[in-house]
This record gives sequence, C-alpha cells and structure tokens, in this order.
Amino acid sequence: MRSIYCDLIMDNHMENESNITEYYKKTAMFWSDMIAMMSSKPTTLSAVGPLRTLSSNLKKVTNELTEANKEIVGFNNFLIEYYKQLADTWSVAQKDVASKVSKLSPNEEGTEAYKRIWIDIFENNFTGLFDSKKFSENYNKLISTELDLLKRWNAITDVMLKSANLPTKQEIEEIYEELHTLKNRISELESFKKNTKKNDTE
Amino acid sequence: MIQNNFDPKVIGEFLNFSRNLVEAPMKASVPHEVSIGSTQFDVAYKEDKMRLLHFKPLTAKQVRTPLLISYAIVNRYHIFDIDPKKSWIKNLLEQGFDVYLIDWGTPTKIDKFLGFHEYVNGYMDNCMDFICDEASVDKVSIQGYCTGGTLATVYSSLHPERVKNLIATAPVIDGWKDTTVVSNVAKFFDVDKLVDTVGNMPPEFIYFCFSILKPFEQGVEKYIKFLNNIDNKKFVDSFLKIEKWLDETPPIPGELFRQWIKGIYQDNLLIQNKMYVKNKLVSLKNLKMPVFTQVAVGDHLVSPECSMPLHYAVSSTDKTLKLYPTGHVGMIASSFSQKTVLPELGQWLKERS
Repeated sequence: MRSIYCDLIMDNHMENESNITEYYKKTAMFWSDMIAMMSSKPTTLSAVGPLRTLSSNLKKVTNELTEANKEIVGFNNFLIEYYKQLADTWSVAQKDVASKVSKLSPNEEGTEAYKRIWIDIFENNFTGLFDSKKFSENYNKLISTELDLLKRWNAITDVMLKSANLPTKQEIEEIYEELHTLKNRISELESFKKNTKKNDTE
Repeated sequence: MIQNNFDPKVIGEFLNFSRNLVEAPMKASVPHEVSIGSTQFDVAYKEDKMRLLHFKPLTAKQVRTPLLISYAIVNRYHIFDIDPKKSWIKNLLEQGFDVYLIDWGTPTKIDKFLGFHEYVNGYMDNCMDFICDEASVDKVSIQGYCTGGTLATVYSSLHPERVKNLIATAPVIDGWKDTTVVSNVAKFFDVDKLVDTVGNMPPEFIYFCFSILKPFEQGVEKYIKFLNNIDNKKFVDSFLKIEKWLDETPPIPGELFRQWIKGIYQDNLLIQNKMYVKNKLVSLKNLKMPVFTQVAVGDHLVSPECSMPLHYAVSSTDKTLKLYPTGHVGMIASSFSQKTVLPELGQWLKERS
C-alpha cells in the first residue's frame, strides 16, 4: 500500500530537486493549516494569552524554514566555490614559490630571500584573485544568499516578538524612519527661520 | 647519519623569534589599553553622534581663515593625531592654523536613514555655521581625507559660497577608474539587499575589505616584523597605536553606504556631474575656489586614478595636484608627511588664507 502511494507521488512530483522541495513545502503547509483549523476552537480559549497566534505563527515559521532550505543549498554552493578559489590560488602560489626557491642556500640570506619571495608571490596571486571578476561575482552571490537567510531569520524573530507582544523589527524601523523624517522637518524649519531672520536684519 | 645543512644563524634567528613570541606580552602593552591622540581639543559643537573638535592653538599668531577637516566615514579620526611626532593636527597647529575636525562618531541602528543630505547639508553645514560664527569669518577652508574628501567635495559643490579653499587628500571621486580590490567587490555588490536586511554597513564587513588588501603583507609579514622588533619600544608603541586605530571601525549608516556604493562605485555619478543630493545637482564645475588635490602613488585603498580626476574636473583656475611617493596612511601619518606633505600644504594654504 505504502509503496503504491509513494511511487505515485514520486512519479508525479519528484522529477527534479525543485519538485521535492515543493512536495515537502506543500506537505508542511497542508498539515500546518489542518492543525490550525483543527485546533482553532481550543486556542480561542487563550485569545489574549501568549498562545493566541500559536497556530498561525507555526505556519509562518514552517514556511520560512522550508524556503530557507533552498537558500542553504545555494549558500553552500557559493561557499564551496569561495573556498575552492582560495585553495586553488594557494596551491598555484605554493608551486610558484617552490619553483623559485629551489636554488636558495639554507643560510641567513637564503632564509630572508625565501621569506620575501613567499610574501611577494602569495600577495600577487591573491591580489589577482581578489581583483578578478569570478571572485567578485561569486563572493557577492555568497553574501546575497547569506542575506536571504538573514531575512528568513529576521522574519522568524519577528513572529516570536509578535507572539510575546513586543514590537517587531519592522515596527521599530518604522519608528526610526518617522524620527528621521521629523528631524529633517525640524532642520528645514530651523533653516527657514534662520534665513528669514537674516533677511529681516539685512 | 643525517647531515644538518642549516646555517647556525638561521637556527639562532628562529630561536630569537620564539623567545620574542613568548616574551611579547611582558614587553608590549595590551593593544586596547594603548592611548591614542595627544593634541588637546574642546568639543565645540555636538549634534546627534557627530562632534566638532576644536584643537587648542600652539602658536600666538594664527592664520585668519580656520581649517575644517572632514574625516573619512571609515575608521576613526585618531589617525590624524596618532603620535605626537607624526600628528597631522599638531603639525598644522604649529604652522599657525586654527584647526577644527569633524568626528562622525559611531552610528547605531537609529542612524540607518542618514545619507549624503544629512551629512553634507546637515552636519557639515551646521559645523561651518558654527565656525563662521565663532571665528567671525564668512568662509572656511575645508580639507577632506579619503571618503571625507568626497564629502568635502560634495559640500564645496553645493555650498561654494562658504568654502575658501578645498583640500582633497586621497578623495574617492571616479569609482570606475579605481583599480583597487575594494572597487572590484563594490562593483557587483547588492547594496540594496544589505541595507534593507542589515541596516548599517557592519564593521565586520569593512574588516573583510581591509583583509583582502595586501593580505600577506598586512596579515602575516607585519606581525612577524612586530615580533622581531619587540625590544624596540618606539616601534612597538607606534605599531600598537596603528593596530588599535585599525580595529576601531564604526558601522557606516545604511543610506549613506547605499548612496556611496551606487553613486560612486557602480554608477559613477559624481565625476559625471550627475549626482543629486536632496534634489540638488552636485556639479564639480561649481568648484571655483582654490583646490589642492593630494594623491599617494602607492595608495592601495583609493587608487591615484580614482582621486586625480577631481583636479581636471573642477572649474577653478587656481588648482594644484601633487603626487607623493607614499601610501594611503603614509600620506597623513608618517615622517614623510611631516617632512614633505604638511609643509607643502601649509605653504599652499597660507598663501590663500
């Protein structure tokens, strides 16, 4: 019985990686909604307590976590590429050093020259990497996916803050923006007042 | 039997290095306990986190026009007064200048919305008002270093009637011509996503940008040199002061950072006279006052190609461009700057003040 059901799902929905994610997402959403509906009556009992929005919060958190999975995959790929670029550059630089220092004598001057050559070659190779388009593109994609993950984390934190009846990050930002606008308006008024006074004196 | 081919001197060097490593904590101060900045000042004016510092004169006779220094938005202003023997401020005071400096402070989350408008038309203009009132003058000379040079340039374009002379020291002007690794990262940077998600530009990210500039010279060789010189008190003191300064990087307000990356590095609006600050066009053609552009040939943070276009873009007929064989920090805090850069600046400024 299980096998037929699973095969059916596999055939219809799991042709590629994105379908698998979709499947898990839909399953999670389905059960979150079902649980929310099934438990709606008992939760109304705590309509003003901390459990007030438990079921809908659960759904939001599940949604964010499921979406985050996709981004974690992307983040890992860019992180692997980042370390690969560093490791490859290190390896090439090490080979360049080896080819240049083989004739150095093992005395004080030789050691000093080795140090200089090592620093210069590594500096040049790594600056070349950091200056390249491939580094910049991958690095910025890495940061971008990291920020996507941070957005998810912020959204989850906001859900928790809301449950605790505390202002969310977005609400705090709105206050900051409001203050900023107010300060600018005060500055404009002060400037207007100053100019009027100056004109009157003249 | 294995034959040892090592020079005894090499082994001696290694043993010395190991000894220095062990003895370093006894011979050097704890970096964060090192005090930097020795020239005395008063906090003349304060607004939000910004402070206007007025340095106490060191000469009886003073140059008539005051000088306002606009420090960069990266790191703190202390590099201008890091050591009495290499102090930019002290040198200018000894030359008879009346020196003010803007300390931008350490922005927090609430400052996320501050942009060019607030920095230039707000803080800088209010500082200029204050100085003009205090010194009973109509115009003030303004010097900007690094990103502070850009702010000073933008200010001079929007308020040319207030600026007697403009000195741009390693200013960030032409982002497309910048050849540093910082500009390479900035070109593809999704600044909107960073600012909308994080708010202010975090100091950790600024550290990353520093760490990819000469990573082995600055990240490895510098510290080996420090340990090899652990018995040289003067060297150790100077090293720790610079390290402490490098470590004190405040966040950059999100909006300012967004406008910075887009306007300077990605769209390169400033040099094309296409930049707007609060609906007002910033045209470098408005710069008709005397302009002195100081560029360091070995600058790996703001490349000479990025700073020099200012000299050619301004309308001023009295303009000077000087190239110095030093680096970004060397231009303002070194024996070289004391012997060459500052005397030349002092002479140029006195002739026009």
